[in-house]
Amino acid sequence: MKELEVKVIVTGSVRGEAIVSKKPISFLGGVAGKKGIIADIQSELHGKSIKDKIFVFPESVGSTVGSYVIYSLKVNNVSPLALVTNHAETIVIAGAILAEIPFVEIKNNDITQLASSGDIITIDTEKKILTIEKSNN
Amino acid sequence: MYLTKEQERILEGEEGEALSKMLQLIVKIGEVNGAEKLISVNSAQIAGVSYLTVGDAIFSFFDMINKDNLKVKIPSWLNPAGMDMSRYKEMGIDSLFSKKQIQIIEEYKKLGIKDTLTCTPYLVGHEPKFGEHIAWSESSAVSMANSYFGARTNREGGPSSLASALTGLTAEYGLHLPENRKPELLIEVDAELESFADFSVLGFWFGENQGGKIPFFKGIKQLSIEKAKSLSAAMAASGSVAMYHVEYFTPGYKKIKKEDLTETIHFTEEEKKAIYERFKEQNNIDLIAIGCPHASKKEIKMIYNFVKSKQKKSDVDIMIFTSRRVLTDIETISIVKELTKKGIKVYADTCMVVSPVTRQSYRNIITNSSKAVFYLSKDKETNVFLDTLENILRRIVG
Repeated sequence: MKELEVKVIVTGSVRGEAIVSKKPISFLGGVAGKKGIIADIQSELHGKSIKDKIFVFPESVGSTVGSYVIYSLKVNNVSPLALVTNHAETIVIAGAILAEIPFVEIKNNDITQLASSGDIITIDTEKKILTIEKSNN
Repeated sequence: MYLTKEQERILEGEEGEALSKMLQLIVKIGEVNGAEKLISVNSAQIAGVSYLTVGDAIFSFFDMINKDNLKVKIPSWLNPAGMDMSRYKEMGIDSLFSKKQIQIIEEYKKLGIKDTLTCTPYLVGHEPKFGEHIAWSESSAVSMANSYFGARTNREGGPSSLASALTGLTAEYGLHLPENRKPELLIEVDAELESFADFSVLGFWFGENQGGKIPFFKGIKQLSIEKAKSLSAAMAASGSVAMYHVEYFTPGYKKIKKEDLTETIHFTEEEKKAIYERFKEQNNIDLIAIGCPHASKKEIKMIYNFVKSKQKKSDVDIMIFTSRRVLTDIETISIVKELTKKGIKVYADTCMVVSPVTRQSYRNIITNSSKAVFYLSKDKETNVFLDTLENILRRIVG
């Protein structure tokens, strides 16, 4: 188990399976808002669902319209449990607030190096701590 | 962050959930960027209009906003749409796209936002004032506002500029603070800059090499609003540059201190030529696209003066993009009629970057805008080339 300090952007304590993108994510074009799957053909996660998972990515890029894509994930009931990043910026902050998806920024660590898809992540936004339990495979 | 009682009240949802969310958005973005308080803004310019970019995602957002019947608190305008709002059939827009596009604009209008549908609000009567705080999102207009007019805005996104429109507020960080508006490096412009494309090339080169920094340009001999617009747009596209200074031409250049400029870089004929060379025409052109950012009255006149005594000789399509306000200007109307007779299409409300038409119907496009080259060449099936307006026009008339 590894504990990390986080900066809380949108509150909400959750526990779930991680899905980790090693590359920066563009929500516009990179994630299908209706289905909640990774649409970017360049991504190692192409075709995988982020629904009900803890979606981890190093940082976000691309159009600010990406905020509306995050919001539509919620409306279409395919939103992730939480969003975790190394660097929170405007696109995802706006999207997570609109959609009310818990969102934290990791302090002084690279989350994409520490967590892998399949690990169990617990986020406690009161204590401002994120815990990683490595999966066995 | 310090918040007034009134702001606290809105955050707690006393004026509805939608407005609370809009303010939360501003506060959180501010907190992440180290803002200490919120400030009032005088206008908002909102991106996220073309159905090509926003898609269906935006409709669920409008549903949320409409529950509380929100209205904008400050003058607010829209960026270009995905089509000319009156000639979309002639443009070849399909009926599903046009239906959705009309719906999007109606939704924005319901909020009290004006459908100027232009990336150049400063050319249609909305020039920002020196020193005023605004929340604009079109990246070229952001740079024009900060650099040419001396107003203060960060590079807002569609949602954050909309949040500012609805609350009248933004967080005080970044380019709202004087200490963040100082130039960091000196660019000696040794190359001759004449055409709009030359200014666009300088911007593209700077953005690509020194993205995100604020430069101080020396050696520029003239800077019309059209030239500043070309320069602003190119830097913002290739390097997210939101502000620059130009000796003799931009407000406050006299106050620039030498010691703040940590580096000097030269932009010579060689750098200029290299960019033109990189985007040099290689194939048979099927579309000439002018008006990124939207063409001014002066640019439309220039084009007309060049082609008026000549005939269009090739079967290349020619499109000029501008704002509706410029298109319907008393001086422009007759010119546009003449251009139309010559087979040159002048469209309003949209442009080559945000309309699906350019990419759907054309494979080899030439333009005098580096910004258009930057965005259109992201589509792997479209070849985009750059040249000066005169050179482009010369090859099609005889």
